[in-house]
Amino acid sequence: MKITFVKKILADGSPCRKCGDVQKRLDETGQIERIDEVLIADERDPTSPGMILASDLGVSRAPFFVVEDGGERKVWTVYFKFAKEVLGGKEGKASDAARDILDDNPDLDYI
Amino acid sequence: MAYDVDTAARRLEQADPRDILEEAVSGFDRIALSFSGAEDVVLVDMVADLGEEVEIFCLDTGRLHPETYRYLDKVRDHYGLDIELMFPDAEAVQQLVREKGLFSFYRDGHQECCAIRKIEPLRRKLATVEAWITGQRRDQSPTRAEVPVVQSDRAFSAPGHPLVKFNPLANWSSDEVWAYIAEHQVPYNELHQRGFKSIGCEPCTRPVAPHEHERAGRWWWEAATQKECGLHVTNIREADIKHVRESA
Repeated sequence: MKITFVKKILADGSPCRKCGDVQKRLDETGQIERIDEVLIADERDPTSPGMILASDLGVSRAPFFVVEDGGERKVWTVYFKFAKEVLGGKEGKASDAARDILDDNPDLDYI
Repeated sequence: MAYDVDTAARRLEQADPRDILEEAVSGFDRIALSFSGAEDVVLVDMVADLGEEVEIFCLDTGRLHPETYRYLDKVRDHYGLDIELMFPDAEAVQQLVREKGLFSFYRDGHQECCAIRKIEPLRRKLATVEAWITGQRRDQSPTRAEVPVVQSDRAFSAPGHPLVKFNPLANWSSDEVWAYIAEHQVPYNELHQRGFKSIGCEPCTRPVAPHEHERAGRWWWEAATQKECGLHVTNIREADIKHVRESA
């Protein structure tokens, strides 16, 4: 099984805050050891590896994770689900899970 | 038998909001209406007319305008309905405030605070029902431009707990909502009279000018690039991709 973590650099050159949050959680929990490859999706550079992979997989959000297993590729765009279902971790704090839900569903902003 | 969301979405696409509400309420034993304390009160009015048992809840973030709190009580009294207030987890709020103060959203973005004060209580509430009803409309923001009248709720469904989401006002415009409010003499939040179109928490909401979109009144200090997690892959030129793939 190969796990790829794709994080984004915004069009203005600044790092994606959400990607930084996820990176921090991966580091703090030691889950980063399970990540085989980290790719950058640089919005200023459509040929950056992360942008190419996103295009290949039809992914329109970042950060995201790709798990390749037995020739099959599966994508997760919600960290807490990825951590629970792939890494077998606990769900973590309810507020972290809520943050992931909000980031993945921007229409909930106005609830 | 499980509710066929796709078929219902096609069948109800152009239906009147009252018909959508009736189907929602008759189709699920545990169903709840989310009321924000703003113009989605039209759904409360429609539900009251139906005379069916529907739970109504509101997310009380602790940071709403005093006018909104007064309005919630006014609606409760006007219709004689219970409105359940969902509160955020006290420990999570305390930790956020202890670490970052009371106005961290101006510096760090609104998502962290919204997740604690709105999304987590919403998730807690939705874990207890089979379906819910929202006042989401397509004209409210670009992120809602394609909201269907009924959908499987992928955000809050969980293994063994599918959740259906009804958006009866999806096709209505703001003008239609306000015409309904006027015609049916529905009580509305007094903030609307002071230029507020979209009403959320007090520190994160401001009135807008008549020509401005309601979205302009929320989180106005955040740059558009910081409001979303989208990858702007549409900017990728096919020729670049082909070149890189061939090089690889």
